[in-house]
Amino acid sequence: MKKPNQRGPVSSASLDTLAARAAEALKQERFKEAVELFKPMVRQDPRPEWKQSLAEAYRGRARALAAKKMFKEAAMVVENTLGPDGTLADPVFYLHCLIRDGQHQKAAAHVLRYVGTESTLPAEERAILEDLAAALLVAVPLGPDPARAPSSEQARWLEPAAASREALAAWVAGASVQEVERQLNRISLRSAFRPVRVLLKCLITMPQDADRSRQLLETIPPGSPFFAFREAVAAVLAGQALDADGWHRLTPVQQAFVAQTRNLPGTVVQFLTRSAEAARSGPSALFGFLLKQPDLPQAEVRSACLNLLPQMPDRLSQFEKRFGPLPDFERHRIQALAAEGRGDWAKAERFWRAAVAALSVNDGDDCQARLSRGVILRHLAQLAAKHPEIEGDGDGFDDPVISYLERSCQADPDYVTGVLDLIGHYRADARLKEWHRLVDEAVQRFPDNSALLLQATESAMARNAYKKAAGFARRLLKIDPINSGVRRQMIELQVAHARKQMRAGRPELAAKELAAAAEWERPDAPSAPLCIAQALVELRAGQDPQAQERLRAGVALAGSGVAGWFRAALEGELMKLTGSSAELLHQELTRARQTPPTKEAVMAIVSALGQPDASEKRAVASLLRGMRAWLLQAAVIDWLPAEFQAIAEILARFDAFDVLAEYARTARRREPGNPIWRFHEIVARTRGNPTRLTIGEMEELGRMADAAANREDFHAANRIERFLSGDGDTPSRRRRSAAAPLDTLNDDSVPELFAAMLEGMPKGATDSVRVLVREFGRDGAVAHMVEQARATPGGPGMPDPVLRELCQAMVAMVMNDSRPHQAPTARRSRP
Amino acid sequence: MRDPFTVLGVDEAADDAEIRRRYLALVRDFPPDRAPERFREYRAAYEALSDERKRLEMMLLGTNAIALSRLCTAALLAASPGSSRASKQAVAALLSEGIMRTVTDKRPPG
Repeated sequence: MKKPNQRGPVSSASLDTLAARAAEALKQERFKEAVELFKPMVRQDPRPEWKQSLAEAYRGRARALAAKKMFKEAAMVVENTLGPDGTLADPVFYLHCLIRDGQHQKAAAHVLRYVGTESTLPAEERAILEDLAAALLVAVPLGPDPARAPSSEQARWLEPAAASREALAAWVAGASVQEVERQLNRISLRSAFRPVRVLLKCLITMPQDADRSRQLLETIPPGSPFFAFREAVAAVLAGQALDADGWHRLTPVQQAFVAQTRNLPGTVVQFLTRSAEAARSGPSALFGFLLKQPDLPQAEVRSACLNLLPQMPDRLSQFEKRFGPLPDFERHRIQALAAEGRGDWAKAERFWRAAVAALSVNDGDDCQARLSRGVILRHLAQLAAKHPEIEGDGDGFDDPVISYLERSCQADPDYVTGVLDLIGHYRADARLKEWHRLVDEAVQRFPDNSALLLQATESAMARNAYKKAAGFARRLLKIDPINSGVRRQMIELQVAHARKQMRAGRPELAAKELAAAAEWERPDAPSAPLCIAQALVELRAGQDPQAQERLRAGVALAGSGVAGWFRAALEGELMKLTGSSAELLHQELTRARQTPPTKEAVMAIVSALGQPDASEKRAVASLLRGMRAWLLQAAVIDWLPAEFQAIAEILARFDAFDVLAEYARTARRREPGNPIWRFHEIVARTRGNPTRLTIGEMEELGRMADAAANREDFHAANRIERFLSGDGDTPSRRRRSAAAPLDTLNDDSVPELFAAMLEGMPKGATDSVRVLVREFGRDGAVAHMVEQARATPGGPGMPDPVLRELCQAMVAMVMNDSRPHQAPTARRSRP
Repeated sequence: MRDPFTVLGVDEAADDAEIRRRYLALVRDFPPDRAPERFREYRAAYEALSDERKRLEMMLLGTNAIALSRLCTAALLAASPGSSRASKQAVAALLSEGIMRTVTDKRPPG
């Protein structure tokens, strides 16, 4: 910046120009420039507003310097704001700068000028100032100011400060308790010097009344300048209870005070200090330091050194030379931890497995050994989930996470968290047979565990064992009466049964199912789906007035408007209602659709379509087609990515790709930089089928997935990868276990697998397939069968597309389908 | 997180009851409303040790500092507990540290 000319007087016109420049510089926080501009102006014409602006510029400049830790310079700049009455514009800030710069004497003199005077300082700043004043006046003795006699107010501060210093000096000099107390009595309990009285009182009465002393110390708050003193005195009072943790929490200054007050020998203080220093210098320094401590208990030294070995396994031989050989288990454990530290996961796995083996050989069925094996195997499972280098048993078929969890459960079967973890993995991997088996075993072992009872309920529901599920649910509700999740599940299950009865033309049985479902309902939390289902059953039975009233109540519970009537219409479709009842639902939904869509209404519809029975694809798709125009209006809503994802999944599931395309286009227009909209646009164009992707689109999606992974948006990256790979399965691990058998299969093995799958089906499989097709339609039956097939011996290793094709072939065979289909073997023509 | 055995000041062989007793004693001395950070640290340490398997996990999988801390505690206990007076310099340094801590813990006003 060019320095303004400060030599001669400035004309009034130039002054105005300067004033404008100075004001602009101040406004833009260019404080140094503002100071240089205001200074000559004030010198020539000391207008009050310019003087004020100059002071403001000085303050700003001082703050900028303090922010760079240039406290000495900052204090000097603030001194420029000194008024004729000797006061500064910003006394607390000035005090901070002096203290930070270590100018305690000057700070004490400064603070004495402000305390107790008729200050205009706000209360908070005043309190800070008074606390600091007391501490400073005790720490720094102020000699009498020859220039002026202290005011009465200043004398009021100086007297207790002197008393505090004298009391401290008496204590330091080893004066008697009475003498120290005599000095302390000169300090008023209402003054800012009260902490000195409290601290010394605690020190001289030690160790008689420890509780009373602790209470007194608590009156010194953490923000007080005497708080560091309070912590040191508390450590002195702790006596034998002062452990290593308490010692290391103290600062070196506090440690010195405690060591002197507790009369700790120099050797102990030196050991404590040097061990802390060695610990900071790294494991090798600490190891070396510990080995040179012959006077300490050697068992403890050995233990401390052993804990350091994983960080420096090369010292293992030195350790063994000094303390004797380690057991095999310890050696493997140290090497495994050392390998983990280096990120060598394959080696870590090898050493952990060796440690487990060593435990099995040496300690057999010893309880501690079993628990240790369980801990290590669970740790291996966790590592396997994160690092593909961990291979498990190495046969390529078993997921190493699951196999390690299985082994940990065998080693430690009483650990319910481990069992739940394994159940979760079985479910996620669709290993239904193992899931159900483990849940059945576990619920007998832990009959009162609510998490397991919930699993047991879900497992029984998945097997359509309603009575069993209800039994588990009742047991769970005895333990946890407000478990809304299990209540909702039981209601949904019975509503689903009622739908089946309705579709079979048995409304009286459906009403019975719904009456049973109502037993799961809490009076304070009525269920919308249940209320709607009951109303529709009553409508079908001709109980019109009562049914309509209940229907409207159910719709209100489901969110009213389009959300509520859509829920009712969906239920009607699922129950296959016809005639006047269906007409009523249709009319009400049409009327509701006149209201423009809202975010909440669309999300309520998405939620309704996510219900399990919404897999009645054909019925739902036709209902959704009727909603098309209304849903299109909602494309302009500013959807959050997570909301958009939920909508996109539902639209894709029910083939509403034109609606999805419009949503994606609109979102992209609104936010062109977000690649996720483009992804959905591509999904819509290809109608969710990656085989329809162009090469350009594939490359674009590949780039998108890489970019998402780079910015650690793993949800987006996985979603794109799943779409590209054409399955709903997530990355590496599952794909690894699925890909291995695919490569080992040859064309001859497919018929065998087919036969094995048929054998794995329950008796009357053909009848079951026919029932499935009648119940769910051809696609739904295939989906259901794929789930079942995964539970057969050959199932878990099979990739989804192959399983699906096999199931399609079975459906075609059972239904005596004349439609040509691709035989699985025809597809298996890969090299 | 610092070694939980050290934080709670318990031995590796301590059982559930002993760990709980020690935790409750510490929380009584440093309740959450008065010492929130210390309380959080004690809580985390207690949760890490509240179960036998978690303690085993800590001992087998962690490179904990309990042994070193035990050595330091032994050294502190071995010293004959007496009472003496600190030096003038130690008191002055403590007061200065408190004053400095007050201004460095707080943002400069304004």
